Amino acid sequence: MKRRFVENFLPPAATFLLTTAAAEFGIRAAGISPLLLPTPSAVARAALQHSPTLLPALAMTAQAVAVGLALSIAVGLLVAIALSTSRWVERAFYPYAIFFQIVPIVAIAPLLVIWFGYGMRAVVAAAFIVSVFPVIANSLAGLLSVDPALRDLFRLYGASGFAQLWKLSLPWALPNVLTGLRIAAGLAVIGAIVGEFVGGGGLGVVVLEAMRQQRTDLVFAAVLHAAALGLALFAAVNATSHFALRRWHSQETEP
Amino acid sequence: MSRLFGPHLVVAIGMATLLAIVACGSKDAATRDAAGKVALALNWKPEPEFGGLYEAERIDAFAKRGLTLELTGGPGAPVVQMVEAGKVEFGIAAADEVMLARDRGTDIVAVFATYQTNPQGIMVHAARGLHSLADLFAAGGTLAVEPGVAYTKFFEKHYDLAKMRIVPYGYSIAPFLNDPTMAQQVFVTAEPIAARRQGADPQLFLIAESGFNPYAAVVITTGARARGETKRVADFVAALREGWRGYLDDPTQANALMGQLNKEMDAETFRLGAAAQQPLIEDAFAKQYGVGAMSLERWATLGKQLQELGLIDAPPAPQDCFVQVEALGSAPQQPR
Repeated sequence: MKRRFVENFLPPAATFLLTTAAAEFGIRAAGISPLLLPTPSAVARAALQHSPTLLPALAMTAQAVAVGLALSIAVGLLVAIALSTSRWVERAFYPYAIFFQIVPIVAIAPLLVIWFGYGMRAVVAAAFIVSVFPVIANSLAGLLSVDPALRDLFRLYGASGFAQLWKLSLPWALPNVLTGLRIAAGLAVIGAIVGEFVGGGGLGVVVLEAMRQQRTDLVFAAVLHAAALGLALFAAVNATSHFALRRWHSQETEP
Repeated sequence: MSRLFGPHLVVAIGMATLLAIVACGSKDAATRDAAGKVALALNWKPEPEFGGLYEAERIDAFAKRGLTLELTGGPGAPVVQMVEAGKVEFGIAAADEVMLARDRGTDIVAVFATYQTNPQGIMVHAARGLHSLADLFAAGGTLAVEPGVAYTKFFEKHYDLAKMRIVPYGYSIAPFLNDPTMAQQVFVTAEPIAARRQGADPQLFLIAESGFNPYAAVVITTGARARGETKRVADFVAALREGWRGYLDDPTQANALMGQLNKEMDAETFRLGAAAQQPLIEDAFAKQYGVGAMSLERWATLGKQLQELGLIDAPPAPQDCFVQVEALGSAPQQPR
């Protein structure tokens, strides 16, 4: 156990220390203006000094991301199940699901405000739009890859459509669904920040304010908070994945 | 409708340009040029606020002083950073940005202030029967402003904004047109004219009404350049002043020139915008000391205000913030 901890955490920690130290000394040695590129220590100072602003903003963004992501999971899974019911349905609707992947969120963000009003709803909508497609695409791939022999077995025993979905297709597709979630989690954070640029609130507005007030250190501090949120979500999905799959799927039992 | 770029795009472009500036480092190499090329970074698209620049170019005011103007930048360009890094010799910024930049340890100075009265304002629907900013804040409603602008902080300090809902301005007047209780930030030459032409009946309160009145569309450069290359800077400002003289007298041809570069704004809006900004550029002070002149007192006031708002730690010495180019040339000296 202890050994595994070292194996898992030592390499990324070493990378972090090395790059941070290199950036600190590199920026100082090159004499780059703090307006252009702040040193890591300046960013850390800004993060501490502005924590009364950053932490509530982080909480607000996290809330919007959580709601947007939850919507993506619910809607994405339902859509994937619907599409998997027949080749015809899939052919008729899947091309339109791709729309969510290619929609340029930055371009339509101002419209979200007109459709949903300022505030949380526009932000949640932005997070949802960018994160729903990976859930649909990966879940669908999983649902369609069920072993035909097992499907025949279920049919042979006269299992109902629901039983086949609940006891075979969904468990079979679970690793794919979770892969979709890993991608969706990071995208939802990006979507929420873009949503906040137009809808207001959260880290998005902190970034805009800091840019305007020429506090490049605070811009980086806010970006790091957003990145931390993305990492936390990614870790949560991984933990869920480990917990849900360890009994069934061999790749989850051994790292 | 001329300000179509969303703030997200502006930030994205800004961050990207920032990185580009850092990536190609080497201070000053880019702008020193024997051929008299002089680069200026704009902070917006060609609109009446830059009328004097385009007029100066059109009548060869730069050329006859041996200067070749090269315009870069645009919406979202981090102009202060570009000037600081030596990517351009001159840039357009606001007086409060100059002070913030000095507070952050850079040596940015102003050499020309286009607007004596700040051209930013808050637009409301006239049907609400409001008479002042104080009226608006007492009445409440939604107010769309760019997050982080200094005047919002000033409003928060000097008025009670409890009834206002403040949201980010998305560079579109559509929400304003759709909501009779909406108020939004404007530039006098753009949004109010667009709103009127789309059937709304807007009413305008200038930010300056609150007592916060930083110079706007200020030409900036580095202190080293302003104090070291006095001839070049004086020539540049003289050419610009000549351009503004021409534009204030007759903006038609410069407007046509800018209209070709900025198709989103039509000729009529250019004409109305130029007329709307005239009194803000050429007031009694500018008539006496020349268009673009600045006063020590105004800079000192701004420093105190920004400190009061917590945007800067200590006001930079006001005499360090600007270089009055008249002092080098023939225009009358003004009291300091």
